[in-house]
This record gives sequence, structure tokens and C-alpha cells, in this order.
Amino acid sequence: MRRYLRSAITPQLLLLLAAAIALAVVVSGNRFFAFVLGITMISILWAAGMNLLTGYTGLVSLAFAGIAGISAYGTVGLVMRCGWSFWLAMPVAVLGAAVVGVLLGLPSLRLKGFYFALSSLVIQTVLSLGFVYFIGLTNGDTGISQIPPPDIPLTGVSFHGIGFDLLLTFAAWLSLAATWAIAHSPFGRRLVAIREDEVLAEAIGIDVIRNKMLVFFVGSLYAGVGGALYATYVGFASPRSFDLLSSLSIWLMVAFGGRGTFMGPVVGALILAPVPFMLQQYDTLKDVIYGALIIAVIVLMPGGVYGTLLAYVRRLPSLKRYLSKQRGGVPNDGSVRRS
Amino acid sequence: MTDLFVARDLCKRFGGLQALRNVDVVQRAGETLGMIGPNGSGKTSFVNAVTGELALDSGTIDFAGRDITGVRPHKVARAGLARTFQAVRIFARLSVRDNLQTAMLVLDDAANSLEAEERVELLHWLKLDHRLDAVAGSLTLFEQRRLELAMRLMMRPQLIMLDEPVGGLAPGEIRAMMQILNELKARCSIFVIEHTMRVIRELADRVVVLITGEKIADGPPVDILKDQRVIEQYLGTAHA
Repeated sequence: MRRYLRSAITPQLLLLLAAAIALAVVVSGNRFFAFVLGITMISILWAAGMNLLTGYTGLVSLAFAGIAGISAYGTVGLVMRCGWSFWLAMPVAVLGAAVVGVLLGLPSLRLKGFYFALSSLVIQTVLSLGFVYFIGLTNGDTGISQIPPPDIPLTGVSFHGIGFDLLLTFAAWLSLAATWAIAHSPFGRRLVAIREDEVLAEAIGIDVIRNKMLVFFVGSLYAGVGGALYATYVGFASPRSFDLLSSLSIWLMVAFGGRGTFMGPVVGALILAPVPFMLQQYDTLKDVIYGALIIAVIVLMPGGVYGTLLAYVRRLPSLKRYLSKQRGGVPNDGSVRRS
Repeated sequence: MTDLFVARDLCKRFGGLQALRNVDVVQRAGETLGMIGPNGSGKTSFVNAVTGELALDSGTIDFAGRDITGVRPHKVARAGLARTFQAVRIFARLSVRDNLQTAMLVLDDAANSLEAEERVELLHWLKLDHRLDAVAGSLTLFEQRRLELAMRLMMRPQLIMLDEPVGGLAPGEIRAMMQILNELKARCSIFVIEHTMRVIRELADRVVVLITGEKIADGPPVDILKDQRVIEQYLGTAHA
């Protein structure tokens, strides 16, 4: 595995990190923009995890935000009630959320495509109800406010301002590096094989159920880390932060950018994550715009913005040879993907 | 010769349809075994049952001295029993190279991967070496069938089950495929489903005839051609 992790330290990725840090520093003067950027970074992290599930494996998990919620409430509970350090609480909550995610997902792992999405929708609904119902843990619809930001261990101070923004930037970048490593590993190849044809994947010796379970676990880790960071960054957690609409908007970032491409979800998150902030006065309009975008993307650009762009660029012969060496994603020729 | 593959008393019912009725099939190592029968006679169900795609109602299957009854498809494949599909199945949107590399994953895990020379030789033999960068779905059907074969051989199978390997091919391609299959015998044992007698006669050492889920004959092609029941129920009809 180390070989694949090392392969993640590529010039492109380092460039991406530099760009992200520069962006965080540039906008740090304006707290509003800095906050939007912070949320965008968490969205990139979430989109990278959703991309592993939806883009590479072909599993549309609409319970993604719910799993993020389990981790968020877990982290907040351990920090605020038990007095744990964020850095101890977060991994525990994330692992717990991932285990719960896999357990809840177990019955649906034999399903594919539409049926998997449907069963994950049910799981999300149950989780959303759970967040409202277990008032003792979640404070119900009122939500938990005044959540302290992550502490900086051994210093007695907490992450705040640009420090927190940079932490989120780094977390987003780390999630991309991990996705890159997975996409270029045998595990990533198995996921693509499962997405393309489960029956054939089994016929060439790939354990479809085991690999689906693994990717579900890994994807839940992304969801969980994002959830813990989100709650502590915003300082507030309520069932609405982790509902079906949140799952859908993460899915939309992936689909909008380009499923199964490495950069697509990043592009999708960069474009879509700030939208709700721009439309703060028009809350209903936001949902309408999201709905319209979902339909537009499915009908007009099944490959996504970045995926479609990539398909055009690939037709240029000079770049073709270079890009053909980049694997993991599918050639996005605009063909409709059933997932 | 030792028995490579032993299926005993296989039964499978789909609602009111008996797809397999107490079918016994034995294949010896190195032997090429053919299976013929009209459409709907249970040939593909038989292969699906053996490779674990289909759960049997009763019966046992041994492969290479191991009980593989009810074992899941990926484990059957890992045990060295590869299969192809009647309707060709490849990763159509991936390149030929990616298809082959995905098929090699299993042996990569076992650190038993094909040597570079072996791969080159295999791809040269199947005339795929100039098509590696093509998108698999853009290949001709004949090329796709060869790719399918190459993917299976990347797994070093002991036995390969071919479901109508010449289905849909043009006459010239059928001849070329027959030659490939004859050469394939040197690499692994072959079980082949066909419903054209001509192909079976040329390839198989022994033939099993399946009609409405029941085995009605089992023997060398020459004998099968003379078998009265086979002539009446199959060869004499328009199917063959």
C-alpha cells in the first residue's frame, strides 16, 4: 500500500495543495469569504468520498450525509460531554460511523444501481429520524450550538480563523491524495470493474461483495471526517445539516463535475458549494436551482462539466498520449451511465 | 486420466420449468468436452450452476479434487475454473489494456502473475497486441471474443468453459476461431457449449447431449451422430 501512497505525492497534487493554501490566505481578510471557502473545502472532502462510491464503484449512496451526521454527533458528544480532545473524539466517532454505515449497508450490498440508491435512501431517512428522535444525544430539531472548534493539542488554544481554514484545506487535500492513491491501486481497479460489470468482475475472480463493503467503509470514513469538521467549523449541528438534501447536494457536486474522474468532484464542489451562500435570502430558490441542476446534468452532461471537457481534450492527439496513461476514470464520451 | 470435473445429479427448477434434471457430467483432465442441445435445453444453466452464478436445488460439483458446490463465482474462478459468456462480456468502456490488467489482478494477489514474456506471447497468439489502446467496446465481435479468451488465460485456468464461442461470427472468423480453440487445448482443458454439431465434431473428444434439462447421450462425436435418440430429438430437427 505504501507504494500507492507514495504515488499520491505527484506534482499535480502538490500544485493543488499550493493553490488551495494560497486561496485560503488570499480570502482570509474577509471572514464571510473565508467561511464559504472553509465549507467548500469540507465539500471537496465529501465529494471525494462520494466519488469513490458513485464515480468509481457505481454506488449512489444517499445515506452519505447521515453517516457524516453520526460522526458529527459522536464527536460533539465526546468533546462536549466527556471532555475528550477533538483529535481523540474524531477518529473514534469516524470509525464508529463507518462501522454503523457498513452494518446498515450490509443488506443492500448485493443490490446494484437504482436499487442500491433506493435502499440507501431508506437508511438516510431512518438516520434523519434518529437524529430528531434521540433528543438526549442530538438535542433534536433545536440542534447543538456553541460547539467548540478543535483544540491544538498540548497548547490550550483552539483552531480559529485562518488556522482552521488551513486545517480544512489540508484535510480536503489529504482526501484527494487518498482518492488518487486508491484510484491507482489494484483496489481502485476492482472498484471500476465492479462499476462496469459485476457479473464479469466475479467471473475474473473479484469478490464483489467484499470490495463493495470495503469501499463503503472507506467512503464512510470520508463522510465521517467531513461531518466532525463541519460541526466544529460551523459550531452548530442539527438534523437539517445531515439530511437527504445534503446527501443529494454532495452527489450533485460529483455528478456535476464528472463521476469517476479525479478532478471532476473538485470542480463540482468549487462551483456548487458556494451557491447556497450566494442565495441565502432566497432559501426556496436554492432548492429549485438544485433540482434544476440535477435534471440538467443528467440530461445534458452525463459525463459532468469536467468529464465532458476531458472528453474534448482527449480528442486532441498531442494530449491523448499523456492522458491515456492516467487511468482510473472512464473515457467520458457522454454515454449515459446507469448508476 | 484423472477426473478434472465431476458434476453429480444436478437439479434446478425455475418455477414450473425443470432446467436441469439429474444431470451427471464428468470431464477428465486434458479432455475437450462438448455439450450440445437445442435452445432452452439447459446448457447455459448447467455452466451457471457449475460456476456458482446459479444456486442448485440439489447435486454436487467437484473440481480438481475440491467440492465447489454452492461456492461463489469469484472463488470458482480463483480455483482455476474460468468461463466465458454466451453474449460476449468485456469492460466495454475501458481500454483493452485495462481489461487485461483487471483480469490479472487475481494472480497479482497470489504473486503468481504471468511473466512479461508469457503475456506478450499470449497477446501475440490472439492477435491483440496491436489493439491494446483501443476502447474494448470498439473492437469487432471476433476481437472481443479473443479479448475475453485472453482475459481468462491471464488467470491461468485449469479448465475453461466456453459458452458458444463462435456465436455471431462470420464464416471466415469461425474457421479462425476453431483454429484458436484447437491451439487452446495445449494450454488448458476445454468445456464447450455449442448448438452447431459441426463445431463440436471438430473440437470435442466427447459430447454430452442435453434436451429439456436431461442428459440423453454421452460419448464420442461419431457415436453421438449415430445415436437414434439424438437424431430423433435433436439432429433430425431444424435446430442442428
